[in-house]
Parts: sequence; structure tokens; C-alpha cells
Amino acid sequence: MQTLLNVSNLCKNYKRSARFLSSGFRAPLGPISFTLGAGQTLSIIGESGSGKSTLVQIIAGLISPSSGDISIKGQPLCSLSQQERCRAIRMVFQDPSSSLNPKVTIGRILTAPLELNTDFNKQQIKEQIQETLALVGLLTDYLDFYPNMLSTVQQHQVALARAMILNPDIIIADEILATLDISLRFKIVNLLLNIQENKGTSYIFVGHNMNLVRHMSDQVIVMNNGLIVENNNTAEIFNTPQTDYTKHLLLSHQPDYRK
Amino acid sequence: MLINYEFNEDKIQSPLQYTWSIFKRNNIAIAAMWVAIILVMIVIFAGYILPNTPTTQVKQLLLPPYWIDGGVSDHFLGTDDLGRDTLTRLIQGIQLTLGGALLLTLIVSILGTIIGATAALTKGLKASILHHFLDALLIIPTLLSALILIAIFGPSYENCLIAVSLSLLPQFIRAIYINIENELNKQYIIALRLDGAANIRLLRFGIFPNILESMVSLLNRIFSLAILEISTLGFLGFGTQFWDVELGALIASSIGLIFSSPWLVLFPGIAIFIIVLVFNVFTEGLRHAVIEGEDE
Repeated sequence: MQTLLNVSNLCKNYKRSARFLSSGFRAPLGPISFTLGAGQTLSIIGESGSGKSTLVQIIAGLISPSSGDISIKGQPLCSLSQQERCRAIRMVFQDPSSSLNPKVTIGRILTAPLELNTDFNKQQIKEQIQETLALVGLLTDYLDFYPNMLSTVQQHQVALARAMILNPDIIIADEILATLDISLRFKIVNLLLNIQENKGTSYIFVGHNMNLVRHMSDQVIVMNNGLIVENNNTAEIFNTPQTDYTKHLLLSHQPDYRK
Repeated sequence: MLINYEFNEDKIQSPLQYTWSIFKRNNIAIAAMWVAIILVMIVIFAGYILPNTPTTQVKQLLLPPYWIDGGVSDHFLGTDDLGRDTLTRLIQGIQLTLGGALLLTLIVSILGTIIGATAALTKGLKASILHHFLDALLIIPTLLSALILIAIFGPSYENCLIAVSLSLLPQFIRAIYINIENELNKQYIIALRLDGAANIRLLRFGIFPNILESMVSLLNRIFSLAILEISTLGFLGFGTQFWDVELGALIASSIGLIFSSPWLVLFPGIAIFIIVLVFNVFTEGLRHAVIEGEDE
């Protein structure tokens, strides 16, 4: 298995704010090290405040790390240009109704990453958009629509299309399935798995639903207080959890129907 | 946003077209808009529609308006104590006050948007200095700071406009700054930033279309304040020289004649009232249309 993403000794420290009477205190993150193979799915689980979101935001490039290296296909991430970085890692946000600009058509939303990160001409852009829409299962009729005219699932598909349009190596998904109800959730899950099969994309998930995590991922990272507690393949984590923290985490997320 | 015509044809409207279609349903706002357009036309073409030259003096002093006994049709709104035509001076006053306020709103909004956007998009020391400096400026009432500036520059119409715009600028920058700052935390802006969009693109497609509502009410507030401050300064005698007739100055010059010919004070007062009212009703209608369009 080829190593795609390599994170080593990643740290994020927050300076105590110098302002008078500041109450802002945040726990530091790291050091964190892990690797992700091509075409694999990595899930990050942990209680809230354990640094899952911070970690994926650092990988996505929203937050700059204090120290440590992230390299993709052997190249350090900081040596890549913004465009190369965009083409390597894309992010899908939690709630598509707030991550799609309400004042812009779907067509424009999908054109923007191509215009900014590739030197495609108009024809190539059009073809790429059509290809990506077919991949996520949307008709080209939707290009003239505004996001609020679509249903939640369609918005999810558009958000996914925006991420896939640059054919990235890694897609980061921050709890994207939480806002969907169960049947629609599986539509998106199957869509994600199909895309992975076709394109060989790697996923990094931040998950909260343990059954879904078990279903989708090859590798699971358990985080607590900004540190990795356990990092193993999915079967090992779920069958023989090594630490008490993992055991409690898995116990506290019983299947929905038992509640 | 889908509208359906008589036969089954669905057409997708852009957010602006949709807002306009909501605005068109509000009759009072439409009426206010037309009056506002007429007023702006008067401002632009005042030079061509003046019935007399503002400085021409006739023998008949203090003529009442045409429809009151003793009025003359040559002087529709009568004449003042020096025999100058009231209608002519009123139109010129509207030109100076309203035109000045419109020009000033334009300049303040352009300058304020540039500075506010720069402040919101930069981080660290520069933004912090601007932030606290503007906070400090905001504690001075705008009219007071305009008066201080006039005292420095010397009274004239141009200096009055400069002073009023400088006194209104901090408010505008502050409001724009807060609006953009709020908008920057929205997910679609973060997503656009992850697409690699530069700041200009971020502002053009991400931020400005989404802060339309607060922009409209902000422009309205700045405009109303500008009208009132220009006429207040004119009334106090700081705004204009004696050959410029600005609405506030018109009231001030004839305040002594209020018992013998009250219309000399009445007409400029009504003009100020109508200008402020009409523009407020218009922009309020616009604002409601924008809000309603966003709720959809």
C-alpha cells in the first residue's frame, strides 16, 4: 500500500492571549503522527473538544500548525503552491446549506475552483463540470439553480461535486452526515463509497456515529485531549479496543434504536 | 425564486431580480422611489429649469405665493425681502443640499468600503490600530466634529461637505468593518477561501451580495444624517457664503420675517422634510424587499 499522506509530530499551541482579562484558553494539540494510504478511509473519533476538528482544519490548510510536518506523496505540504495544495486536498463542510453561497448559482460555485486552480479553457471547464455532476449523480439542469432551491441531499451532492471537481487525492469531511436523516444518509454514504471505488480518492472523516465509522473506514484514530489515544485498523479498534477511553467511547455510542 | 407565468414556463430569477419583484409589490415604496427620482432629476437639471436667476431682484418685495391674495404668477412661490424669486432659490437650495448629500454619501461609501474592507481583511497591528482609532473617533458626536473641522477649514460650501463627510466616515467604516468581519466566519466564505480565492474575489462574490441589507440601511442612515448636518451647518451660518443658497441657510436668512411672510421659512422646511421622508420610505422598502428575498 502506497503512503499518500504522512503527518509527523504535528503540534498546535495556542498562545495565552495578551489582552487584559482575556478568558480565551484553548488546549494545545499534539504531537500527532499518522499515515494514510492511497484509496483508504481514515476516521477520526473522540469526544467533543478532543481536537478532531482542529486536526482536520490544519490538514485542510485553514489553520497553520505551530510545528511538525505534513507531507503528501512524499512532498512537504508547505513546499506546495496554493493551487497544488487545492488540487491535492479538498474539504467538505458539515452543513451544505451554510457552505454554499446563497447568492451564487450552482454553476458559478462549481466554476470557481476550476478558474482559480487550473488553466482550463471554457470548453474544458464545461466538460469537467458535466463529468463531476455525473459522478455525484446530478443533472446539468441544476447549474442555473441557486442553492436554496435544492433539497438537502442535492446540496450535499453539490458540496461533494465542488470538492471532487479538482480530482483531489484526499477529501476531508467534517461530520458531513450528521444533518441528514437515515435513508438520505445512506444515499450519500453509498455515493462516497462509489466515488472512492471509481477514483481511488482517500477520505478523512470526522465521525460521531460509530456504526457508520465501522462501515466506511479502513483505519480509525481515537483522540482525547489533543492526543492520539489509539490508531489501528477498524476491525482491531472495534473488536479489541486497547484503552479504557476507547471502550467507553464505543459503549456510549450504542445504535440509535436502543435509545 | 421560481416564478410561473400563465403558461407553464418556469424562469429562474437572480437574487437581485427577485428582490426587485418583491419591491414592486410595495406601492408606497414605489411612489417614494419616483419622487426620489424626480428630486434627483431636479438636482441634476436645476440649471435648466430655474424660472429666474437666483440673484435677480425685482421691485416687489415679500410677495406671497401665487395662490394667496396679492400673489403674482411670475413669482410662483413669491419673493423674499430683497425681491428675489423664492421658487428659484428653493430649487437651488435643493440642488445644493440634496446634491451635496448624494455626492457625500457616494464618496463616504466608496472611501469607507475601501478602508473598512482593508481593515477587516488584514489582521494584527494594522487592523487593531484602525479598530481602536475609529472607536475613539466614534465618541465625538458627528455634528460637533463637523463644527470643529469647519472651524479649522473656514466656512464655505465645499468645506462644509468635506467636514460632514469626514465626520460621517468613521461610522461608515465601523459598520462595514463589523459586517465583513461577521461574514468572514461564514462557511461559504471559508470554502471560497479554500478554493484559493483572493480577497477581491472574496469581497465581490462572497461578501457583498450577502451584506446587501445592512448596506442599504447604512447608506440610508448616512444619507439622512448628511442632509440634516448640511442644513444644520447652513442654518448656523457655517455651511455657505451668502451667494450660495442652501436649504438651512434659506431658513436662517428669513427667520426674522416669520411673522410677516411665514412661507419663506415654510417652503425650505417642507423641502427638507420631504427629502428625508421620501428617501427613508424608499430605502426602507428596499431593505424589506432584500430581507424578504433572503428569507425564501
